[in-house]
Amino acid sequence: MFVPQTGITLWLFILGALVVGGGVFFVLTLVPTRFRKPLIAAVTFLAGLFFALEFFLPVATEGETKGQNFLTPFLKPVSAWTTILQGFALGIGVYSLVSVHLRNIARKREGRGFSVVLLAAIVAMAVPAIWKEYNPDPRLKGFYEIIYDGAFNSLNATMYSVVAFYIVSAAYRAFRIRSREATLILISAFLIMLGQVTIGQAITNGIPNEGFARNFRIENIANWILTRVNSPAVLAIEFGVGIGALATSLRIWLSLERGSYFDEEL
Amino acid sequence: MEHATTSARIILILFSVIIVTQVIRAQRGQRPFIRRIPGLTAIEEAVGRAVEMGRPILTSVGMGGIDIITLQALAIVTHVAGVAARFGQRIILPVRNAAFVPIAEDAISTAYNQAGRPDAFSEQDIIFLSGEQFAYAAGVSGLIQREKVAATFLFGQFFAESLIIAENANQVGAIQVAGTPSTTQIPFFIVACDYVIIGDEYYAATAYLTRQPTIMGSLVGQDRVKMAVIGLIVLGAILLSFGMPVVWNLFFDKELATLADYFKPQGTLIQSLGAGGGK
Repeated sequence: MFVPQTGITLWLFILGALVVGGGVFFVLTLVPTRFRKPLIAAVTFLAGLFFALEFFLPVATEGETKGQNFLTPFLKPVSAWTTILQGFALGIGVYSLVSVHLRNIARKREGRGFSVVLLAAIVAMAVPAIWKEYNPDPRLKGFYEIIYDGAFNSLNATMYSVVAFYIVSAAYRAFRIRSREATLILISAFLIMLGQVTIGQAITNGIPNEGFARNFRIENIANWILTRVNSPAVLAIEFGVGIGALATSLRIWLSLERGSYFDEEL
Repeated sequence: MEHATTSARIILILFSVIIVTQVIRAQRGQRPFIRRIPGLTAIEEAVGRAVEMGRPILTSVGMGGIDIITLQALAIVTHVAGVAARFGQRIILPVRNAAFVPIAEDAISTAYNQAGRPDAFSEQDIIFLSGEQFAYAAGVSGLIQREKVAATFLFGQFFAESLIIAENANQVGAIQVAGTPSTTQIPFFIVACDYVIIGDEYYAATAYLTRQPTIMGSLVGQDRVKMAVIGLIVLGAILLSFGMPVVWNLFFDKELATLADYFKPQGTLIQSLGAGGGK
């Protein structure tokens, strides 16, 4: 069942999924409001439980199922549900986006020209991108490449290159010595930058790279700052973030989190 | 497929129990103390300044998908929207995920409704810009420059666009509050923004802002877990220094027999973690 389908079976699967999906959404709209939150909580718990059990249950150490437990074969199909649900969410998003901009145009709001450009851009990108998959005409592919690779990617690269100028202006402000912290940033950044470039390394090239003296070579000082000061700090932040993510995941999984951010608790 | 090892099972389940226990204790009435987080206390200041200047506030939930980081960012932005709504102040929220537009509209409009100012909310201000990183950055920068925003709140997952957005806001003199779990972007925010929320403060933000017992309990649980982690690190370091790599061997594939093994090439803690050598 969980293998890629082709031909008429594929279309039957797509049709079946749409009918079942639409049916489920319709049934959900009929659920009384007071039962909706418990229903969401139950589905969230069951979905989370599947992934938790799959991760925690012991796995076979030999044989055909080595590295798997009895839930592992279902992991890919169940994970695909996320993609399917995101597909529905994307549909809602596109509908919302198009309706907002169509309203802008219909009501002649200020800036409606941008709405026209946005809708035209959606059509100009979506039509050739989908069509080229079904039509082998090289002109179609060429048109897509012109607007995507030729225009879009070049604009992206241009925007990325702007970061270099912003780094300079931000660094200038950060490196002005106004406090002890700024002074520390300035000194450590200066040493690390020197340690990364050959001209910096040339400054202390006369110091032997062995024994106690090697600690005074600029590249070793820079490396020490990176691996003994910077890395532990980054790891500490990542530990904290990881624990925060664990706590937030637990709250969502067990529906301890409030339903829609700032309404009453479940 | 990745599966839990024995040590991961014990540690994760133990940590989860600690967090859930603290949540339940808080729900039963125990009120923990949360220290002041300057970035979050600055929200009212930033909103007040925007009101005085008569300019809008720009918020962003970053470049992430619909995941925990983005939902956490939306929770913070929704709180900002609630404060802004009390003054009838305009909030602009550009998003990079079309599927996120209805979710953001719902959360922000709810905040305006709860503040009793549904009239001040406009769905035009929840703007889908682009799913592409730099197109999004260009769009946000354009909004900042055209609207001359008075304040920006940048929360969520950011990448190289963080500095483009923050520097543009700096150019128009906006007061900026930012927070991200992306360790590579924190330095950019620190140099460009007025207040930055670092590390797990990001996840403490909703507890601090809402004072909701469940989230505050969760925060206390996180701190208990952090203490446990620090305790394990200190214990492991002491034992390893005396030639007993018990804690190390619990977590790493490359088991050590003596202290000398630790100093052999590829044997340091940082290298092992970087190479994904954890058990």
